[in-house]
Amino acid sequence: MAGPESHSEGEFHPRGTVAVLVIFAVTLAVLWGSIYLILVSQGATMP
Amino acid sequence: MTAITSTTAVPAAPVARPATYALSATEKRLVGLNVLVAVLALFIGSLFGPLQALEHARVDLYPLLQPLLKSYYQGLTLHGVLNALVWTTFFITGFFTLTIPFALRRPLAAPKLNWAGFIVQTLGLLTAAVPILLNQASVLYTFYPPLQAHFTFYVGLTLVVVGSWIQGYGFYITFYRWRKDNPGVRSPLMALGSVITMVLWQIATLGVAVEILTQLLPWSLGLLKGVDPQLNRTYFWFTGHPLVYFWLLPAYVSWYTMLPKQVDGKLFSDALARFAFWLFLFLSVPLGFHHQYVDPGVPPMWKYIHAILTYAVAFPSMLTAFTVIASLEVGGRARGGKGLFGWIPALPWRTPSVNHQLLAGILFFLGGIGGIVNASYNVNLVVHNTAWVPGHFHLTVASAVTLSFMGIAYWMVPHITGRTLWAPKLAVIQGWVWFVGMLIFATAQHRVGLLGAPRRTPLGQAPYVPASWQPWTFLTAIGGVILFVGVILFVVIILVTVLRKPAHPSQVPAIPEAEALQDPQLTPAWLDRWAPWLVATVALILIAYGPQLIYQIANMSNTSPGFNNIW
Amino acid sequence: MTPSQTPQPSLQIDRYERGWMIAAIVLLATFALAVTVAGAAMGIQLPAPELRVNPQTVASEGPFAQPGVRELAPGRYEAYIMSQTWLFIPREIKIPKGSEITLYVTSKDVQHGFKLEGTNINMMVIPGQVSRLTFRAEKPGTYNFICHEYCGLGHAAMFGTLIVTE
Ligand code: HEM
Ligand SMILES: [Cu+2]
Ligand SMILES: [Cu+2]
Repeated sequence: MAGPESHSEGEFHPRGTVAVLVIFAVTLAVLWGSIYLILVSQGATMP
Repeated sequence: MTAITSTTAVPAAPVARPATYALSATEKRLVGLNVLVAVLALFIGSLFGPLQALEHARVDLYPLLQPLLKSYYQGLTLHGVLNALVWTTFFITGFFTLTIPFALRRPLAAPKLNWAGFIVQTLGLLTAAVPILLNQASVLYTFYPPLQAHFTFYVGLTLVVVGSWIQGYGFYITFYRWRKDNPGVRSPLMALGSVITMVLWQIATLGVAVEILTQLLPWSLGLLKGVDPQLNRTYFWFTGHPLVYFWLLPAYVSWYTMLPKQVDGKLFSDALARFAFWLFLFLSVPLGFHHQYVDPGVPPMWKYIHAILTYAVAFPSMLTAFTVIASLEVGGRARGGKGLFGWIPALPWRTPSVNHQLLAGILFFLGGIGGIVNASYNVNLVVHNTAWVPGHFHLTVASAVTLSFMGIAYWMVPHITGRTLWAPKLAVIQGWVWFVGMLIFATAQHRVGLLGAPRRTPLGQAPYVPASWQPWTFLTAIGGVILFVGVILFVVIILVTVLRKPAHPSQVPAIPEAEALQDPQLTPAWLDRWAPWLVATVALILIAYGPQLIYQIANMSNTSPGFNNIW
Repeated sequence: MTPSQTPQPSLQIDRYERGWMIAAIVLLATFALAVTVAGAAMGIQLPAPELRVNPQTVASEGPFAQPGVRELAPGRYEAYIMSQTWLFIPREIKIPKGSEITLYVTSKDVQHGFKLEGTNINMMVIPGQVSRLTFRAEKPGTYNFICHEYCGLGHAAMFGTLIVTE
């Protein structure tokens, strides 16, 4: 694959975007995990 | 024609693109009428929001509305139909009447068709409104049988859908003509995204079309003695899930192809934006069983397959998050923002349209998280049909989508009417009112749902409400009233704007159109071809829905007579 | 000029964006794995097709003609529950703590819902179908089962109770 395409702006690295999305991913994992724990704590539906 | 060398050469587009396009008077009128119906629907539909929220906190205002409104459920039907179906559909057809001609730089190819579509859609709305207002169709916006509405309700809904199809055909023809006249040119993303959305809608709505035409309509006319409720749920959710992408993708069109310009940025990746739109087309229909996880009549294996496909369709939204935020970052940095987060406050938050769409994006983060929870197969047992679910979709359709549409309206209505926006500062505040109201409302609804509160229920009348729910029902009411203020401010700002004196053309906002960082001609051709994606879309639907549809249809038992006098 | 004369541009993805794409896929795959484990290893399953019935006759013939709780074996119960506007029959179910109970629920009229407080029992109740889930009652107490699907004017009042005795 050809190297990163150079565009008129020069190199732009979306570091801030990555930072925002890391915060999002962590929030997602934590909130999702908390609901998953509720599920597991409420027990089987076909033991 | 230049060959592509390793770096910068761009294959010139064989046909030059006009610098801009001014919408014709008839196009502007069509946009305006579609948006007018949309805003009226939002206004009327939202009147019931605070009533519902207050009822949950035991402030029952419904007796005051007798005899206009018979019950909570009649109001909830109006709320769901007008907000979720009418506000969205009319706004979307109006918005695309602008984006498609503008992006293609050519008039609608068959404006009569678009008019016809709009008229059918509006007649459908009026037809369905009569039985709802007469309390003959208090079946909520999902109209699950064997609750049976008056047949005019089903006729009306069908006409709304058919009208939107016809408006869609007007768009397809316009796009097709452009394609013929511009071989080798990458289709403008704004138009491509809009047309993909309409095609998705066309495919998706086949579910309710079959439901109404083969079951509900003949049954409500007395031609069929009974229907199969389970089969109807399957038909309904064939449409019901992609419906949410029909709402969402127009917002994505704005986020990808307009918002970057409004913040002095550029679209970070034209290619991945297209890829996301195609993935939505490909993946968004065969997921409907994720609304039927707890239905008895669907085998768990199929539910599981749809769960996995739902995780797959989360991917293009994740991609959208990156591309859109990176495009914003380009803008924020160009505006002098420094550091890891400094570009965020550097964005033009004081521009109402930008402000609204940024707030929409933030709420969508939360809504998206809830959506992944809902979609997670057995995790759905924790939240299914609880108040968590309204909490979730007020963050998505009623915030990510609705706030974005309001933000779009703040430049679009001035643009088509030749006015300037009235009270832009108030418009920014209006967005924040919605944002704050929604944070309170949605938090409360999610929490009370986790405690077990059912949705679609006037909790104020329910005999089983424990004390632990009450702080949350109280906050639901507070949030609901704040949201209501947000709706009223929006409607007033739009109305006053329209009634203002025409402004000097130089002051009227232009249509924002973002450039991409990389010339779209460098986007691979497979991201601009319809045939492979359409074939793949149909194939996946056949694989992931076909067997169950065939099974459920073959084993149909029309044993449920209608119930039309129990509300 | 045919497209084949021009070398096709290939898809170029920014390094950071590619990193995010991979992270997103890993995250989603983790969720998928977790729900699979909960289903396959922990017995947290969704309702499956059980039995088709005719809603017009289900109240007079078959197992729902006499709704109620039956003891199958020590500590093993089953309950047949009829949903109708706007009540569950029976309204009250009593079982001793530690027992396992399988719930069969159907409707003889419109759609209803069935959610048992504090458990993962959550099902749609659809005329013509029977919904079934099982659970083990560990803690004594009174638990409501609530109709969570709109079923007409009296919907908000539709619930029943499960009493787990010492
Ligand atoms: C003033 C702002 C609003 C308030 C206070 C509000 C409040 C509520 C409440 C409390 C419910 C739950 C009713 C129940 O489950 O019993 C509800 C349901 C719903 N809302 Fe809203 N809402 C507002 C705006 C919107 C908007 C803008 C949309 C869509 C664009 C929307 C779409 C819906 C839908 C689809 C339902 C579900 C109806 C059903 O279950 O049949 N709402 N709303
Ligand atoms: Cu869905
Ligand atoms: Cu009910």
